[in-house]
Amino acid sequence: MDRESFIHLTKPVAAGSTTASPLQVVIYAQALFAILDHSLRRSPDQERVIGTLLGVRSEDGSEIEIRNCFAVGHNESQEQVEVDMDYHKQMYNLHLKANPKEVLVGWYATSPELNTFSALIQNFYASNGDGTHPYPAVHLTVSSNPGKDITCRTYISSSVGTTADRAADSCLFVPVPYEIKYAETERNALESLSLGKASSDRQVSNIVDIHSLEAGIIELLEMVSRVSNYVSQILAGETLPSVAIGQALLNTLNLAPKVDASELEKLFNTHLQDVLLVSYLANTIRTQIDLSNKLASTVGTIATPPKTDHKRQQKERD
Amino acid sequence: MADISTIKSVRVDALVALRIVKHATGVYPTTVYGSLLGMEVDGVLQITNAFPFPTSAEGDDSSSSALTPKNKGVMWYQNEMIKCLREVNVDANNVGWYQSTTLGNFINSNFIENQAHYQSQMNERTVALIYDSTRSAQGGLAIKAYRLTPQFMVAYKENKFSSENLIKHNLTYKDILQEVPLTLYNSHLAISLLHQLSIPPQPPSNLPVSVSSLTNPPTYPQPNFPVSTNFNALDLTIDPILEKSCDLILESIEAHNTEANNAAYYQRSLAREQTKITAWQQKRKTENSVRAAQKLPPLAEDEWQKLFKLPQEPSRLDSLLISRQVEQYARQVDGVTATSSAKLFALNGGIPRF
Repeated sequence: MDRESFIHLTKPVAAGSTTASPLQVVIYAQALFAILDHSLRRSPDQERVIGTLLGVRSEDGSEIEIRNCFAVGHNESQEQVEVDMDYHKQMYNLHLKANPKEVLVGWYATSPELNTFSALIQNFYASNGDGTHPYPAVHLTVSSNPGKDITCRTYISSSVGTTADRAADSCLFVPVPYEIKYAETERNALESLSLGKASSDRQVSNIVDIHSLEAGIIELLEMVSRVSNYVSQILAGETLPSVAIGQALLNTLNLAPKVDASELEKLFNTHLQDVLLVSYLANTIRTQIDLSNKLASTVGTIATPPKTDHKRQQKERD
Repeated sequence: MADISTIKSVRVDALVALRIVKHATGVYPTTVYGSLLGMEVDGVLQITNAFPFPTSAEGDDSSSSALTPKNKGVMWYQNEMIKCLREVNVDANNVGWYQSTTLGNFINSNFIENQAHYQSQMNERTVALIYDSTRSAQGGLAIKAYRLTPQFMVAYKENKFSSENLIKHNLTYKDILQEVPLTLYNSHLAISLLHQLSIPPQPPSNLPVSVSSLTNPPTYPQPNFPVSTNFNALDLTIDPILEKSCDLILESIEAHNTEANNAAYYQRSLAREQTKITAWQQKRKTENSVRAAQKLPPLAEDEWQKLFKLPQEPSRLDSLLISRQVEQYARQVDGVTATSSAKLFALNGGIPRF
């Protein structure tokens, strides 16, 4: 995703406005997927859809993690905008029940455009009472135009000096930096999902452990060959050498354990034996359970329990 | 009841998978439950949305059953949520539920009750998704879809799991659950996002100055982390998983022993009662023959039914479930050992010897 550079300054806090201090926004991938899903489900006549962002705020309010979101229905015409606030409140309460830690942090829209209506909605989300006041509300725009990259932008608002009757529908959107993050397990899931990104039916089937192992090994081999290419290029004098990279490589190579061959053989064998023993016993137990059930149904009773317990003790020796 | 063949496979949206993962990871190792939404198209159950159940249902104590789909508070929550989601064009059909588990220890009466509750409704198209958080941490995504088989549902409705009944329905422990093939599905937009996320960050144009600048790059704000292969799958610590599997199997065997002892106890008391009955019948016969000799009317010979009570056969359901659970563990161990031994061999070949 492209990102623009911008400068962020702490301004003196004007009376009545929300704090506009620099802010770091973290977006979790799950929320993005949910927004895209909502974007797919909009009515054909809707330009954009909006929803509420839920997440966690750090204690001083300087970092906001967007973890979840839900869609809110709204109607937009040339003259006016209508957001279903009752719906928003009801959903928010329902979400709080399932996950009390995730609170209201802002809202999203699925078009990159900012207009008067955006300001109006933004002012609602940042308002006192139902909104995020005294913290700033985050506005996340996700563009999903066909043929273009999916672009995210995050903003917070700051009030602008206008006449009192225009204050409700005007505000200044200040862009803030953001970051997309995944939790470790979420990453595993994303990785499995992205296995299907190159296939035409957009599906992934048959998720097995051994596949992720294979993918890992292939990736590792690629990295090794990349490094060895780089080194041979330097040796041939084609690329500029760097002391730092050389040092880092040397440090890494030194991590390889120095083990005695016979010692290693022994370690390898004991570990392998453990693994195979557990596998063997698990299968034996399965067979015995099967047998026990067969006997039970033929005799019409449950047969005596399989005598597996003494075998199991061996396993615990590690 | 709907025929089992109505659902040939399950298609899970990326969003659903991520929601479940997030929910389960957030409160690991507690078991979490949630609802699945979607629709069935030509035998493929498309699951397009999911939401978690509340952590504590109102008006109920937080016992383990309070969080399951059968609970009233949860039912209310689920209905409210579906009502709300319908307004924003989400497929508002409840198509099942999900549950997290560690190393596949999900087969218990609770699971059966929940799924049976879903499958007992008319025209149902429901599955239970099982997400294994422990195995997913090893790399990959361990999600499986299950349904109860029709013959099990019939037996469950009669609520009689005697040996005789099991034979009548031809039900063994292997026929309790049916795994439904599962595919993961990405929308076009999701694919586009995934592609964008996997673009690696631009390498810095100038050469690094020192080793520390390589290990902690000072490029703040950090560029988006690319979704690249992570190397959890290459992790060599296999012992904890094996140990945990052993523990779980042992536990199941204990349970199996208890069940077997119960059954043996029933057998013994049944045999004892039967000997008593035969003895009584014998006695009554001789009495009657004596009475016949004395020309007296014979005494009733079936009076023993009132005098003796045959013990009730204990339900075989638990023992079936335990057997199925053991099978599940054993298959899982098979999978784990396959990858572990591959890793071990790779390591053995790869380490330089001195």
